[in-house]
Amino acid sequence: MIQARRKSVVAAALLLLAVFIVLGITVGGVPLSFRDLWSGRGMEGDTARLLASLRFPRVALAAIVGACLALAGAALQALLKNPLADPFLLGTSGGAATGAALAALAGLSPLLSPPAAFAGAVVSSFGVAALARRRGRLDLQRLLLAGLIANAFFSALLLLVFSVASGEAARTMLFWMMGSLSDATAGKAAALLPYAVAAGAVLLLSASRLNLFAVGEENAAALGVDIEKSKRIVFLAASLLTGAAVAFAGVIGFVGLLVPHAARAVAGNDQRVLLPVSALCGAALLVAADAFARTAFAPAELPIGAVTASIGAPLFAWMLLRNP
Amino acid sequence: MTPLVESRGLLASYGPTPALRGLDASFPRGEIVAVLGENGSGKSTLLKVIARIVPAAGGELFLEGRPLAQLPRRETARRIAYVPQSLDLVFPIRCLDLVLQGRAPHDSAFSADSPEDLERARAAMRSCDVEALAERDASALSGGEQRRVFLARALAQEAEIWLLDEPASGLDPRHRLEFLEILGRTHRERRTTVLLVTHEMDLAGEIADRILLLSGGRTLAEGAPAEVLTQQNLRRAFSVESRVEVDAAGRRRIVPFAPTR
Repeated sequence: MIQARRKSVVAAALLLLAVFIVLGITVGGVPLSFRDLWSGRGMEGDTARLLASLRFPRVALAAIVGACLALAGAALQALLKNPLADPFLLGTSGGAATGAALAALAGLSPLLSPPAAFAGAVVSSFGVAALARRRGRLDLQRLLLAGLIANAFFSALLLLVFSVASGEAARTMLFWMMGSLSDATAGKAAALLPYAVAAGAVLLLSASRLNLFAVGEENAAALGVDIEKSKRIVFLAASLLTGAAVAFAGVIGFVGLLVPHAARAVAGNDQRVLLPVSALCGAALLVAADAFARTAFAPAELPIGAVTASIGAPLFAWMLLRNP
Repeated sequence: MTPLVESRGLLASYGPTPALRGLDASFPRGEIVAVLGENGSGKSTLLKVIARIVPAAGGELFLEGRPLAQLPRRETARRIAYVPQSLDLVFPIRCLDLVLQGRAPHDSAFSADSPEDLERARAAMRSCDVEALAERDASALSGGEQRRVFLARALAQEAEIWLLDEPASGLDPRHRLEFLEILGRTHRERRTTVLLVTHEMDLAGEIADRILLLSGGRTLAEGAPAEVLTQQNLRRAFSVESRVEVDAAGRRRIVPFAPTR
Protein backbone atom coordinates (compact mmCIF):
# COMPACT_ATOMS: atom_id res chain seq x y z
CA MET A 1 0.00 0.00 0.00
CA ILE A 2 2.80 2.36 0.99
CA GLN A 3 4.82 1.28 -2.03
CA ALA A 4 1.82 1.92 -4.31
CA ARG A 5 1.37 5.39 -2.87
CA ARG A 6 5.05 6.14 -3.42
CA LYS A 7 4.86 5.05 -7.01
CA SER A 8 1.78 7.13 -7.68
CA VAL A 9 3.42 10.25 -6.22
CA VAL A 10 6.48 9.79 -8.43
CA ALA A 11 4.22 9.12 -11.44
CA ALA A 12 2.25 12.30 -10.72
CA ALA A 13 5.47 14.33 -10.57
CA LEU A 14 6.60 12.83 -13.89
CA LEU A 15 3.26 13.73 -15.47
CA LEU A 16 3.51 17.28 -14.14
CA LEU A 17 6.97 17.62 -15.67
CA ALA A 18 5.78 16.21 -19.02
CA VAL A 19 2.87 18.67 -19.14
CA PHE A 20 5.14 21.61 -18.35
CA ILE A 21 7.69 20.53 -20.95
CA VAL A 22 4.98 20.48 -23.62
CA LEU A 23 3.78 23.83 -22.34
CA GLY A 24 7.32 25.21 -22.35
CA ILE A 25 7.83 24.26 -25.97
CA THR A 26 4.47 25.50 -27.21
CA VAL A 27 4.18 28.85 -25.46
CA GLY A 28 6.38 31.83 -26.20
CA GLY A 29 6.43 35.13 -28.07
CA VAL A 30 5.16 33.11 -31.03
CA PRO A 31 2.84 30.27 -30.03
CA LEU A 32 3.48 26.88 -31.55
CA SER A 33 0.97 24.11 -32.13
CA PHE A 34 1.92 20.47 -31.80
CA ARG A 35 -0.14 19.62 -34.87
CA ASP A 36 2.07 21.88 -37.02
CA LEU A 37 5.11 20.32 -35.44
CA TRP A 38 4.15 16.73 -36.25
CA SER A 39 2.16 16.98 -39.47
CA GLY A 40 2.59 20.57 -40.65
CA ARG A 41 3.74 20.91 -44.26
CA GLY A 42 5.54 23.70 -46.05
CA MET A 43 6.03 27.02 -44.33
CA GLU A 44 3.96 26.22 -41.23
CA GLY A 45 5.71 22.96 -40.54
CA ASP A 46 9.17 24.45 -41.09
CA THR A 47 8.47 27.35 -38.76
CA ALA A 48 7.12 25.02 -36.11
CA ARG A 49 10.16 22.75 -36.32
CA LEU A 50 12.52 25.72 -36.26
CA LEU A 51 10.81 27.15 -33.19
CA ALA A 52 10.89 23.77 -31.48
CA SER A 53 14.58 23.32 -32.23
CA LEU A 54 15.22 26.73 -30.67
CA ARG A 55 13.01 26.17 -27.65
CA PHE A 56 13.79 22.58 -26.84
CA PRO A 57 17.39 23.18 -25.64
CA ARG A 58 16.12 25.99 -23.45
CA VAL A 59 13.39 23.84 -21.93
CA ALA A 60 15.89 21.02 -21.43
CA LEU A 61 18.37 23.33 -19.73
CA ALA A 62 15.63 24.75 -17.50
CA ALA A 63 14.54 21.25 -16.51
CA ILE A 64 18.06 20.06 -15.65
CA VAL A 65 18.93 23.24 -13.72
CA GLY A 66 15.65 23.05 -11.79
CA ALA A 67 16.22 19.40 -10.95
CA CYS A 68 19.79 20.11 -9.77
CA LEU A 69 18.77 22.96 -7.46
CA ALA A 70 15.72 21.21 -5.98
CA LEU A 71 17.59 17.94 -5.41
CA ALA A 72 20.50 19.74 -3.76
CA GLY A 73 18.09 21.64 -1.50
CA ALA A 74 16.12 18.53 -0.51
CA ALA A 75 19.27 16.57 0.34
CA LEU A 76 20.76 19.44 2.36
CA GLN A 77 17.52 19.90 4.30
CA ALA A 78 17.54 16.25 5.37
CA LEU A 79 21.28 16.19 6.07
CA LEU A 80 21.19 19.32 8.22
CA LYS A 81 17.78 18.50 9.70
CA ASN A 82 16.85 22.03 8.79
CA PRO A 83 14.00 23.08 6.49
CA LEU A 84 15.84 26.32 5.71
CA ALA A 85 18.92 24.64 4.25
CA ASP A 86 19.38 25.46 0.60
CA PRO A 87 22.38 25.85 -1.73
CA PHE A 88 21.46 29.52 -2.10
CA LEU A 89 21.39 30.10 1.68
CA LEU A 90 24.58 28.09 2.29
CA GLY A 91 26.50 30.45 0.01
CA THR A 92 27.34 27.88 -2.66
CA SER A 93 25.38 29.68 -5.39
CA GLY A 94 26.99 32.99 -4.43
CA GLY A 95 30.48 31.48 -4.59
CA ALA A 96 29.79 30.03 -8.01
CA ALA A 97 28.43 33.31 -9.34
CA THR A 98 31.35 35.29 -7.93
CA GLY A 99 33.83 32.93 -9.53
CA ALA A 100 32.14 33.38 -12.89
CA ALA A 101 31.84 37.16 -12.53
CA LEU A 102 35.51 37.52 -11.60
CA ALA A 103 36.45 35.52 -14.67
CA ALA A 104 34.35 37.84 -16.83
CA LEU A 105 35.94 40.93 -15.27
CA ALA A 106 39.42 39.50 -15.83
CA GLY A 107 38.52 39.45 -19.52
CA LEU A 108 38.56 35.68 -19.77
CA SER A 109 36.62 34.08 -22.59
CA PRO A 110 32.95 33.34 -21.78
CA LEU A 111 33.90 29.72 -22.40
CA LEU A 112 35.83 29.84 -19.13
CA SER A 113 32.83 31.02 -17.11
CA PRO A 114 31.56 27.53 -16.24
CA PRO A 115 34.89 26.29 -14.84
CA ALA A 116 35.21 29.56 -12.94
CA ALA A 117 31.72 29.01 -11.47
CA PHE A 118 32.70 25.48 -10.43
CA ALA A 119 35.83 26.80 -8.80
CA GLY A 120 33.82 29.44 -6.93
CA ALA A 121 31.30 26.85 -5.72
CA VAL A 122 34.06 24.58 -4.48
CA VAL A 123 35.95 27.45 -2.79
CA SER A 124 32.72 28.55 -1.10
CA SER A 125 31.85 24.98 -0.04
CA PHE A 126 35.25 24.36 1.47
CA GLY A 127 35.37 27.79 3.07
CA VAL A 128 31.95 27.31 4.63
CA ALA A 129 32.87 23.79 5.74
CA ALA A 130 36.11 25.06 7.28
CA LEU A 131 34.23 27.78 9.16
CA ALA A 132 31.68 25.21 10.32
CA ARG A 133 34.32 22.77 11.52
CA ARG A 134 34.53 22.68 15.24
CA ARG A 135 36.52 20.26 17.36
CA GLY A 136 37.34 18.32 14.22
CA ARG A 137 33.72 17.77 13.26
CA LEU A 138 31.33 19.46 10.87
CA ASP A 139 28.93 21.28 13.17
CA LEU A 140 25.52 21.64 11.55
CA GLN A 141 24.44 24.80 13.39
CA ARG A 142 27.68 26.53 12.50
CA LEU A 143 27.29 25.42 8.90
CA LEU A 144 24.15 27.51 8.44
CA LEU A 145 25.78 30.52 10.09
CA ALA A 146 28.87 30.10 7.95
CA GLY A 147 26.62 29.96 4.88
CA LEU A 148 25.03 33.21 5.94
CA ILE A 149 28.45 34.84 6.26
CA ALA A 150 29.59 33.46 2.90
CA ASN A 151 26.44 34.77 1.26
CA ALA A 152 26.90 38.28 2.64
CA PHE A 153 30.54 38.24 1.57
CA PHE A 154 29.89 36.99 -1.96
CA SER A 155 26.99 39.40 -2.47
CA ALA A 156 29.25 42.26 -1.49
CA LEU A 157 32.02 40.99 -3.74
CA LEU A 158 29.61 40.67 -6.67
CA LEU A 159 28.37 44.23 -6.14
CA LEU A 160 31.92 45.56 -5.95
CA VAL A 161 32.86 43.75 -9.13
CA PHE A 162 29.65 44.92 -10.75
CA SER A 163 30.26 48.58 -9.87
CA VAL A 164 33.72 48.73 -11.47
CA ALA A 165 32.78 46.70 -14.55
CA SER A 166 31.32 48.34 -17.63
CA GLY A 167 29.61 47.54 -20.89
CA GLU A 168 29.58 43.92 -21.94
CA ALA A 169 31.11 42.67 -18.69
CA ALA A 170 28.40 44.39 -16.67
CA ARG A 171 25.73 42.75 -18.78
CA THR A 172 27.11 39.27 -18.09
CA MET A 173 27.30 40.17 -14.44
CA LEU A 174 23.56 40.75 -14.44
CA PHE A 175 23.20 37.28 -15.90
CA TRP A 176 25.21 35.72 -13.05
CA MET A 177 23.33 37.63 -10.37
CA MET A 178 19.77 37.22 -11.59
CA GLY A 179 20.04 34.02 -13.60
CA SER A 180 18.99 33.54 -17.19
CA LEU A 181 18.28 30.73 -19.61
CA SER A 182 18.28 32.94 -22.70
CA ASP A 183 21.69 31.75 -23.89
CA ALA A 184 20.64 28.10 -23.72
CA THR A 185 21.97 25.78 -26.40
CA ALA A 186 21.75 22.04 -26.87
CA GLY A 187 25.50 21.93 -26.22
CA LYS A 188 25.08 23.61 -22.81
CA ALA A 189 22.27 21.29 -21.79
CA ALA A 190 24.37 18.31 -22.87
CA ALA A 191 27.40 19.64 -20.98
CA LEU A 192 25.40 20.07 -17.78
CA LEU A 193 23.74 16.66 -17.94
CA PRO A 194 26.71 14.46 -16.87
CA TYR A 195 27.32 16.56 -13.75
CA ALA A 196 23.63 16.47 -12.89
CA VAL A 197 23.38 12.72 -13.39
CA ALA A 198 26.57 11.87 -11.48
CA ALA A 199 26.02 14.11 -8.45
CA GLY A 200 22.26 13.42 -8.53
CA ALA A 201 22.87 9.67 -8.42
CA VAL A 202 25.14 10.08 -5.39
CA LEU A 203 22.35 11.88 -3.54
CA LEU A 204 19.59 9.49 -4.61
CA LEU A 205 21.70 6.56 -3.43
CA SER A 206 22.18 8.33 -0.08
CA ALA A 207 18.43 8.59 0.48
CA SER A 208 18.19 5.86 3.16
CA ARG A 209 21.04 7.40 5.11
CA LEU A 210 19.48 10.86 4.76
CA ASN A 211 16.31 9.46 6.36
CA LEU A 212 18.37 8.71 9.47
CA PHE A 213 19.93 12.21 9.37
CA ALA A 214 16.47 13.78 9.10
CA VAL A 215 15.70 12.47 12.60
CA GLY A 216 19.07 13.66 13.88
CA GLU A 217 22.79 13.27 13.47
CA GLU A 218 23.14 11.20 16.66
CA ASN A 219 20.36 8.99 15.38
CA ALA A 220 22.27 8.32 12.17
CA ALA A 221 25.50 7.63 14.07
CA ALA A 222 23.80 5.21 16.46
CA LEU A 223 22.32 3.30 13.52
CA GLY A 224 25.70 2.63 11.93
CA VAL A 225 26.28 5.62 9.63
CA ASP A 226 29.76 7.11 9.37
CA ILE A 227 28.33 10.58 9.79
CA GLU A 228 31.43 12.65 8.99
CA LYS A 229 31.97 10.78 5.75
CA SER A 230 28.30 10.98 4.79
CA LYS A 231 28.20 14.70 5.49
CA ARG A 232 31.22 15.30 3.27
CA ILE A 233 29.78 13.22 0.43
CA VAL A 234 26.33 14.83 0.51
CA PHE A 235 27.72 18.33 0.94
CA LEU A 236 30.10 17.93 -1.99
CA ALA A 237 27.50 16.35 -4.28
CA ALA A 238 25.03 19.15 -3.47
CA SER A 239 27.77 21.72 -4.13
CA LEU A 240 28.58 20.14 -7.45
CA LEU A 241 24.91 20.21 -8.49
CA THR A 242 24.67 23.85 -7.46
CA GLY A 243 27.91 24.87 -9.14
CA ALA A 244 26.86 23.13 -12.34
CA ALA A 245 23.44 24.80 -12.32
CA VAL A 246 24.90 28.27 -11.65
CA ALA A 247 27.58 27.78 -14.31
CA PHE A 248 24.94 27.34 -16.99
CA ALA A 249 22.10 29.51 -15.71
CA GLY A 250 23.41 31.98 -13.11
CA VAL A 251 22.01 32.31 -9.58
CA ILE A 252 18.38 31.20 -9.41
CA GLY A 253 17.16 31.32 -5.82
CA PHE A 254 14.23 29.73 -4.01
CA VAL A 255 14.00 26.56 -6.14
CA GLY A 256 16.09 24.57 -3.67
CA LEU A 257 14.18 25.95 -0.72
CA LEU A 258 10.62 25.90 -1.99
CA VAL A 259 10.31 22.75 -4.07
CA PRO A 260 11.32 20.29 -1.33
CA HIS A 261 8.81 21.97 1.01
CA ALA A 262 5.96 21.63 -1.43
CA ALA A 263 7.00 18.10 -2.35
CA ARG A 264 7.21 17.11 1.31
CA ALA A 265 3.64 18.26 1.87
CA VAL A 266 2.47 15.82 -0.80
CA ALA A 267 5.01 13.00 -0.76
CA GLY A 268 5.93 12.90 2.94
CA ASN A 269 9.46 13.03 4.28
CA ASP A 270 10.81 9.66 3.14
CA GLN A 271 13.90 10.76 1.23
CA ARG A 272 13.67 7.74 -1.07
CA VAL A 273 10.50 9.35 -2.46
CA LEU A 274 11.12 12.99 -1.62
CA LEU A 275 14.45 13.28 -3.45
CA PRO A 276 13.25 12.03 -6.86
CA VAL A 277 9.93 13.88 -6.52
CA SER A 278 11.79 17.10 -5.62
CA ALA A 279 14.05 16.72 -8.67
CA LEU A 280 11.07 16.22 -10.97
CA CYS A 281 9.07 19.07 -9.46
CA GLY A 282 12.13 21.37 -9.51
CA ALA A 283 12.48 20.65 -13.22
CA ALA A 284 8.77 21.32 -13.79
CA LEU A 285 8.85 24.55 -11.78
CA LEU A 286 11.81 26.02 -13.63
CA VAL A 287 10.39 25.07 -17.05
CA ALA A 288 7.14 26.81 -16.10
CA ALA A 289 8.91 29.83 -14.62
CA ASP A 290 11.02 30.19 -17.75
CA ALA A 291 7.95 29.94 -20.01
CA PHE A 292 6.41 32.72 -17.95
CA ALA A 293 9.62 34.79 -18.06
CA ARG A 294 9.73 34.75 -21.84
CA THR A 295 5.99 35.20 -22.58
CA ALA A 296 4.60 37.54 -19.92
CA PHE A 297 6.12 40.69 -21.40
CA ALA A 298 7.28 39.33 -24.77
CA PRO A 299 9.40 40.25 -26.59
CA ALA A 300 11.05 41.54 -23.40
CA GLU A 301 12.32 38.79 -21.12
CA LEU A 302 12.23 38.75 -17.33
CA PRO A 303 15.21 37.55 -15.31
CA ILE A 304 14.36 33.99 -14.27
CA GLY A 305 15.83 34.47 -10.78
CA ALA A 306 13.47 37.39 -10.20
CA VAL A 307 10.52 35.25 -11.37
CA THR A 308 11.34 32.35 -9.02
CA ALA A 309 11.92 34.73 -6.12
CA SER A 310 8.65 36.56 -6.68
CA ILE A 311 6.70 33.29 -6.84
CA GLY A 312 8.81 31.67 -4.14
CA ALA A 313 8.91 34.31 -1.44
CA PRO A 314 5.12 34.81 -1.06
CA LEU A 315 4.46 31.08 -1.31
CA PHE A 316 7.08 30.47 1.33
CA ALA A 317 5.54 33.11 3.56
CA TRP A 318 2.14 31.49 3.09
CA MET A 319 3.55 28.09 4.03
CA LEU A 320 5.16 29.57 7.13
CA LEU A 321 1.86 31.08 8.18
CA ARG A 322 0.05 27.79 7.62
CA ASN A 323 2.59 25.72 9.58
CA PRO A 324 3.87 27.94 12.37
CA MET B 1 34.65 -14.91 31.23
CA THR B 2 35.18 -11.88 29.00
CA PRO B 3 32.65 -9.15 29.81
CA LEU B 4 30.40 -8.20 26.89
CA VAL B 5 31.54 -4.58 27.06
CA GLU B 6 34.61 -3.39 28.87
CA SER B 7 36.37 -0.03 29.09
CA ARG B 8 39.86 0.68 30.36
CA GLY B 9 41.10 4.20 30.94
CA LEU B 10 38.42 5.51 28.55
CA LEU B 11 38.76 9.18 27.60
CA ALA B 12 36.27 11.41 25.81
CA SER B 13 35.83 15.14 25.61
CA TYR B 14 33.69 17.82 24.05
CA GLY B 15 36.34 20.22 22.74
CA PRO B 16 38.49 21.30 25.67
CA THR B 17 35.97 19.98 28.22
CA PRO B 18 36.81 16.44 29.30
CA ALA B 19 33.77 14.23 29.96
CA LEU B 20 35.42 10.87 30.60
CA ARG B 21 38.81 10.94 32.35
CA GLY B 22 40.02 7.38 32.31
CA LEU B 23 36.94 5.34 33.00
CA ASP B 24 37.25 1.65 33.88
CA ALA B 25 34.11 -0.45 33.83
CA SER B 26 32.87 -3.82 32.71
CA PHE B 27 29.41 -4.92 31.73
CA PRO B 28 28.70 -8.65 31.95
CA ARG B 29 26.40 -10.24 29.41
CA GLY B 30 22.70 -10.36 30.24
CA GLU B 31 22.75 -7.95 33.17
CA ILE B 32 21.01 -4.68 33.80
CA VAL B 33 23.55 -2.10 34.88
CA ALA B 34 22.39 1.25 36.20
CA VAL B 35 24.83 4.10 35.64
CA LEU B 36 24.57 6.74 38.37
CA GLY B 37 26.40 9.96 39.06
CA GLU B 38 25.84 13.68 39.40
CA ASN B 39 25.22 15.92 36.38
CA GLY B 40 28.36 16.11 34.24
CA SER B 41 29.87 12.95 35.70
CA GLY B 42 30.04 11.38 32.24
CA LYS B 43 27.02 9.03 32.33
CA SER B 44 25.46 10.05 29.01
CA THR B 45 28.87 10.41 27.38
CA LEU B 46 29.68 6.82 28.30
CA LEU B 47 26.53 5.64 26.51
CA LYS B 48 27.30 7.82 23.49
CA VAL B 49 30.83 6.48 23.20
CA ILE B 50 29.58 2.90 23.34
CA ALA B 51 26.88 3.80 20.75
CA ARG B 52 29.67 5.36 18.60
CA ILE B 53 27.92 8.74 18.57
CA VAL B 54 30.88 10.39 20.30
CA PRO B 55 34.39 9.13 19.46
CA ALA B 56 36.66 8.05 22.29
CA ALA B 57 39.69 10.31 22.69
CA GLY B 58 41.82 7.63 24.29
CA GLY B 59 41.83 4.49 26.40
CA GLU B 60 40.31 1.22 25.35
CA LEU B 61 36.78 0.01 24.75
CA PHE B 62 36.08 -3.62 23.95
CA LEU B 63 33.07 -5.51 22.66
CA GLU B 64 33.62 -9.17 23.51
CA GLY B 65 37.32 -8.49 23.83
CA ARG B 66 37.61 -6.80 20.44
CA PRO B 67 38.33 -3.07 20.10
CA LEU B 68 34.91 -1.52 19.41
CA ALA B 69 36.16 1.34 17.25
CA GLN B 70 37.78 -1.08 14.82
CA LEU B 71 34.58 -3.02 14.16
CA PRO B 72 32.45 -2.01 11.17
CA ARG B 73 29.89 0.59 12.22
CA ARG B 74 26.97 -1.33 10.82
CA GLU B 75 28.02 -4.44 12.72
CA THR B 76 28.06 -2.65 16.06
CA ALA B 77 24.77 -0.91 15.17
CA ARG B 78 23.17 -4.33 14.71
CA ARG B 79 24.25 -5.29 18.21
CA ILE B 80 23.86 -2.02 20.11
CA ALA B 81 20.64 -0.01 20.34
CA TYR B 82 20.64 3.52 21.69
CA VAL B 83 17.46 4.98 23.20
CA PRO B 84 17.81 8.76 23.52
CA GLN B 85 16.34 10.81 26.31
CA SER B 86 14.02 12.66 23.97
CA LEU B 87 13.53 13.42 20.32
CA ASP B 88 13.86 16.85 18.79
CA LEU B 89 12.02 16.27 15.53
CA VAL B 90 11.90 18.95 12.85
CA PHE B 91 10.31 16.93 10.07
CA PRO B 92 7.24 14.74 10.48
CA ILE B 93 7.85 10.99 10.66
CA ARG B 94 5.41 8.13 11.15
CA CYS B 95 6.05 5.99 14.21
CA LEU B 96 6.19 2.92 11.97
CA ASP B 97 8.96 4.54 9.90
CA LEU B 98 10.84 5.43 13.06
CA VAL B 99 10.66 1.81 14.23
CA LEU B 100 11.65 0.63 10.73
CA GLN B 101 14.84 2.68 11.07
CA GLY B 102 15.92 0.02 13.55
CA ARG B 103 16.27 -2.27 10.54
CA ALA B 104 18.72 0.12 8.81
CA PRO B 105 21.89 -1.60 10.09
CA HIS B 106 20.56 -4.93 8.80
CA ASP B 107 19.52 -3.79 5.33
CA SER B 108 21.54 -2.70 2.36
CA ALA B 109 21.55 1.06 2.10
CA PHE B 110 19.63 1.07 -1.16
CA SER B 111 16.76 -1.33 -0.50
CA ALA B 112 13.15 -0.50 0.21
CA ASP B 113 11.57 -1.82 3.39
CA SER B 114 11.11 -5.54 2.90
CA PRO B 115 7.93 -7.36 4.03
CA GLU B 116 10.07 -9.10 6.67
CA ASP B 117 11.24 -5.74 8.01
CA LEU B 118 7.65 -4.52 8.16
CA GLU B 119 6.58 -7.68 9.98
CA ARG B 120 9.42 -7.33 12.50
CA ALA B 121 8.61 -3.66 13.07
CA ARG B 122 4.92 -4.39 13.60
CA ALA B 123 5.66 -7.28 15.96
CA ALA B 124 7.99 -5.04 17.97
CA MET B 125 5.31 -2.35 18.15
CA ARG B 126 2.80 -4.95 19.34
CA SER B 127 4.99 -6.10 22.19
CA CYS B 128 5.62 -2.51 23.27
CA ASP B 129 1.92 -1.71 23.08
CA VAL B 130 2.34 1.03 20.47
CA GLU B 131 0.82 -0.75 17.47
CA ALA B 132 -2.08 1.71 17.42
CA LEU B 133 0.37 4.59 16.99
CA ALA B 134 1.92 3.19 13.77
CA GLU B 135 0.51 5.85 11.45
CA ARG B 136 0.82 8.75 13.91
CA ASP B 137 3.46 11.45 13.60
CA ALA B 138 6.15 10.69 16.18
CA SER B 139 6.64 14.37 17.03
CA ALA B 140 3.04 14.58 18.28
CA LEU B 141 3.44 11.80 20.86
CA SER B 142 3.64 12.17 24.61
CA GLY B 143 6.93 11.43 26.34
CA GLY B 144 5.74 8.01 27.50
CA GLU B 145 4.55 7.01 24.04
CA GLN B 146 7.78 8.21 22.47
CA ARG B 147 9.87 6.17 24.91
CA ARG B 148 7.83 3.03 24.14
CA VAL B 149 8.18 3.62 20.38
CA PHE B 150 11.95 3.73 20.89
CA LEU B 151 11.85 0.49 22.86
CA ALA B 152 9.98 -1.01 19.91
CA ARG B 153 12.71 0.25 17.64
CA ALA B 154 15.43 -1.33 19.79
CA LEU B 155 13.44 -4.58 19.61
CA ALA B 156 13.13 -4.34 15.81
CA GLN B 157 16.86 -3.64 15.70
CA GLU B 158 17.36 -7.05 17.38
CA ALA B 159 20.20 -5.56 19.36
CA GLU B 160 21.63 -7.48 22.31
CA ILE B 161 22.89 -4.36 24.10
CA TRP B 162 20.47 -1.62 24.98
CA LEU B 163 21.69 1.81 26.02
CA LEU B 164 18.95 3.83 27.71
CA ASP B 165 19.49 7.48 28.63
CA GLU B 166 17.23 8.44 31.54
CA PRO B 167 14.37 6.34 30.17
CA ALA B 168 11.98 6.83 33.05
CA SER B 169 12.43 10.54 33.70
CA GLY B 170 9.45 12.75 33.03
CA LEU B 171 6.97 9.87 32.93
CA ASP B 172 3.87 9.81 35.08
CA PRO B 173 3.58 6.84 37.50
CA ARG B 174 1.42 4.74 35.20
CA HIS B 175 3.57 5.22 32.10
CA ARG B 176 6.67 4.70 34.19
CA LEU B 177 5.38 1.35 35.43
CA GLU B 178 4.32 0.31 31.93
CA PHE B 179 7.70 1.26 30.56
CA LEU B 180 9.57 -0.68 33.23
CA GLU B 181 7.30 -3.69 32.70
CA ILE B 182 8.12 -3.76 28.97
CA LEU B 183 11.81 -3.22 29.63
CA GLY B 184 11.89 -6.04 32.19
CA ARG B 185 9.96 -8.39 29.92
CA THR B 186 12.17 -7.82 26.87
CA HIS B 187 15.23 -8.17 29.07
CA ARG B 188 14.05 -11.57 30.30
CA GLU B 189 12.87 -12.80 26.90
CA ARG B 190 15.84 -11.66 24.86
CA ARG B 191 18.54 -11.80 27.50
CA THR B 192 19.54 -8.26 26.56
CA THR B 193 22.34 -6.48 28.33
CA VAL B 194 21.02 -3.11 29.49
CA LEU B 195 22.94 0.02 30.43
CA LEU B 196 20.61 2.46 32.03
CA VAL B 197 21.56 6.02 32.88
CA THR B 198 19.35 7.38 35.62
CA HIS B 199 19.11 9.81 38.50
CA GLU B 200 16.63 7.64 40.35
CA MET B 201 18.52 5.66 42.95
CA ASP B 202 15.45 3.68 43.96
CA LEU B 203 14.82 2.62 40.38
CA ALA B 204 18.46 1.62 40.05
CA GLY B 205 18.38 -0.39 43.25
CA GLU B 206 15.14 -2.02 42.20
CA ILE B 207 15.79 -3.23 38.66
CA ALA B 208 19.55 -3.24 38.25
CA ASP B 209 21.79 -6.24 38.81
CA ARG B 210 24.76 -3.95 39.14
CA ILE B 211 25.44 -0.28 39.71
CA LEU B 212 28.17 1.80 38.15
CA LEU B 213 28.70 4.96 40.14
CA LEU B 214 30.58 7.71 38.28
CA SER B 215 32.22 10.88 39.52
CA GLY B 216 34.14 13.36 37.40
CA GLY B 217 34.37 11.01 34.42
CA ARG B 218 35.81 8.13 36.47
CA THR B 219 34.40 5.09 38.20
CA LEU B 220 33.80 5.70 41.89
CA ALA B 221 32.26 2.33 42.69
CA GLU B 222 31.00 -0.67 40.80
CA GLY B 223 29.09 -3.70 42.03
CA ALA B 224 25.82 -4.98 43.47
CA PRO B 225 23.32 -2.27 44.49
CA ALA B 226 23.64 -2.94 48.21
CA GLU B 227 27.42 -2.66 48.00
CA VAL B 228 27.50 0.51 45.95
CA LEU B 229 24.57 2.51 47.31
CA THR B 230 26.08 3.28 50.68
CA GLN B 231 25.92 6.54 52.59
CA GLN B 232 29.64 7.06 52.13
CA ASN B 233 29.57 6.50 48.35
CA LEU B 234 26.58 8.78 47.93
CA ARG B 235 28.33 11.49 49.92
CA ARG B 236 31.36 11.22 47.64
CA ALA B 237 29.39 11.01 44.41
CA PHE B 238 26.61 13.52 45.00
CA SER B 239 27.76 15.54 48.03
CA VAL B 240 24.56 14.64 49.89
CA GLU B 241 23.82 13.13 53.23
CA SER B 242 21.36 10.24 52.97
CA ARG B 243 19.88 7.43 54.91
CA VAL B 244 19.05 3.93 53.77
CA GLU B 245 15.60 2.61 54.68
CA VAL B 246 14.51 -0.98 54.32
CA ASP B 247 10.77 -1.44 53.82
CA ALA B 248 8.58 -4.36 54.92
CA ALA B 249 9.19 -6.17 51.61
CA GLY B 250 12.95 -5.95 52.18
CA ARG B 251 13.49 -3.28 49.48
CA ARG B 252 16.18 -0.72 50.20
CA ARG B 253 15.23 2.88 49.73
CA ILE B 254 17.78 5.68 49.56
CA VAL B 255 16.60 8.95 51.02
CA PRO B 256 18.97 11.89 50.48
CA PHE B 257 18.03 14.54 53.01
CA ALA B 258 20.68 17.28 53.02
CA PRO B 259 23.58 18.61 51.00
CA THR B 260 26.95 17.82 52.56
CA ARG B 261 28.34 20.88 54.33
